[in-house]
Amino acid sequence: MKKKVAVYKVSFFIVLLVALVTALYLGAYDFNHSVFEIVSTYFNTNTHTADSFVLIELRIPRILMAILTGAALAISGTSLQGLFKNPLASPDLIGITSGAVLFAALTIVFGSAVMHLLPAFFRYVLLSVMAFIGALLTMWFVYKMATSNGKTHILILLLSGVAITALTGAVTGFLTYISTEEELRNITFWSLGSLAGSNWWKVCLVFIVVLIGSIRLLSKGKILNALMLGEKEAAHLGFDIEKTKREIIIIVSLMVGCVVAFNGTIGFVGLVVPYILRFVFNSNYNILLPLSMLLGAVVMLIADTISRTIVVPAELPIGILTAIMGAPVFISILINYKRKLK
Amino acid sequence: MKKFFTVLALAIVVASCNKKEENKTTTTETDTVATEIKTDRIVSLNGAVTETLASLDVAGNIVGRDVTSTYPADLKATDLGHVRSITAESILALQPSVVFGTTKDVNPNLNEQLKKANIPLVLIDQEYSIDGSKKLITAVATKLKKDNYQPLLDNISNKMATVKTFDKKPKVLFIYARGAGNLMVAGSGTPLHSMIELAGAENAAAALTDFKPLTPEALLTTNPDVILMFDKGLQSLGGVDGLLKIEGIATTNAGKNKKVVTMDGQYLSGFGPRVGDAVVELHNKLQ
Repeated sequence: MKKKVAVYKVSFFIVLLVALVTALYLGAYDFNHSVFEIVSTYFNTNTHTADSFVLIELRIPRILMAILTGAALAISGTSLQGLFKNPLASPDLIGITSGAVLFAALTIVFGSAVMHLLPAFFRYVLLSVMAFIGALLTMWFVYKMATSNGKTHILILLLSGVAITALTGAVTGFLTYISTEEELRNITFWSLGSLAGSNWWKVCLVFIVVLIGSIRLLSKGKILNALMLGEKEAAHLGFDIEKTKREIIIIVSLMVGCVVAFNGTIGFVGLVVPYILRFVFNSNYNILLPLSMLLGAVVMLIADTISRTIVVPAELPIGILTAIMGAPVFISILINYKRKLK
Repeated sequence: MKKFFTVLALAIVVASCNKKEENKTTTTETDTVATEIKTDRIVSLNGAVTETLASLDVAGNIVGRDVTSTYPADLKATDLGHVRSITAESILALQPSVVFGTTKDVNPNLNEQLKKANIPLVLIDQEYSIDGSKKLITAVATKLKKDNYQPLLDNISNKMATVKTFDKKPKVLFIYARGAGNLMVAGSGTPLHSMIELAGAENAAAALTDFKPLTPEALLTTNPDVILMFDKGLQSLGGVDGLLKIEGIATTNAGKNKKVVTMDGQYLSGFGPRVGDAVVELHNKLQ
């Protein structure tokens, strides 16, 4: 088993590297020199040519953002599925993403007066903190709704997600109605997501959050495995269940909020990636957590590269691509579920 | 493995943060230098600007355009799509010497990225009025260092002088349609509101602001004499017959008399150099 895991890890890593190098070279803009030459000229001369600008300021941050976003969404999904003991728990389905979007949209519409005064980095921090609060509030609400006596009712969980998403939809719709066209554009962006606005500041911020978050989550494999036996059983094994739950909820909200704040709603990655891995490794979270990060990064990077290149010079919203890849998997989950019910 | 990742990623962040600092100094320096603009490769992200450029005889220098730049029809520029989804990379791929757009259209991300790329970005605050069109033409011409723009302004003034007043102002309702399920009316603050008023008529939906969804009840209370649409909009409904099938339309004065006026979208709402001609044409069609 260990060998198998290592093989998967290495092969995902190789695929990620290949995708990364391919993504560097693909895009609306064709480079005149090789990537290596461009980077070395830039660091020698310290001034941007058109080539180096596209590469260093647009493409590389975007690729890194795709990798971080994919990894964050996938590990968040995996942790949630472990926490709720159900493969349908993913950030978008239980409404966390919508909560984050709502708060980000509110910040944009009502905070536009203040936002202009802040330097770029703090603007991003404010936006992600607000999205984090939105994510945390929804997460807390959904969790309280769905859990009683230490058991999670998956139906209530999903329905609370539906309710939250509907509410968010209504409020964002209302914001759209009252906002000026300029603000409106900023809101509509959230619904399908895009990594086009990535820059180094955003990448830095997301990286810090994802780094801290994933280090904490990666250590939760054992506890999530124990949780599959049931909460009491896990507690008897000596795990502090309540503390773990709180920690997972906060970290997932933080990661999802931060990612959503910059890239909008990108659905299905948090649902599909852990699900695919579960086919191979069953539900061993020690393996699922790190592998989901890698596979999430791969899936997201490929999706973003396709979105950048398929309709050059325009761009296909990435939400469309992840939905196309994710929806069939989602349907297959439901079919499996139905079979189990019989 | 995990450690390797962490170290690698940390290194990237440290490098990127350092680089960021260097960048700041270079951009501030170039902000002041960028006043001299070369106009051999122009990207225009607004239909009215594109028309103005063409009228100033530099259509051949336009290398990229947005989806609203439909006039002149023989423009040989790459269509970059809708201005909201245009990315910095596809603009840079055209190696533009200057990018024109309006403050309303260009999103802050793109704005920021182009600024950092040291591509001169000329943003014009477009107003939907005759003065606004003239200002836009003057602004574009000044940036291009062209002084042959006076005839364009005169043409607009001359055309506007020929617009007579109606004895009884017709109530005109503009309907924006993308198929029967997606109908909006143009309230005040929209370019169409301004066009209707310039043509001497009254906007039936003046009580609303911006574009608002069309409702049968609102149709009855406003009861327009004429329905105004874009050519493509009416097409998407299947012509006048399709329009009359929409609930409420047939009971309005316009519906009863089948008084539907259509014009090309960019021509009618663009507020470019052809605004005078468009007002005259609209006025004549309303009679």
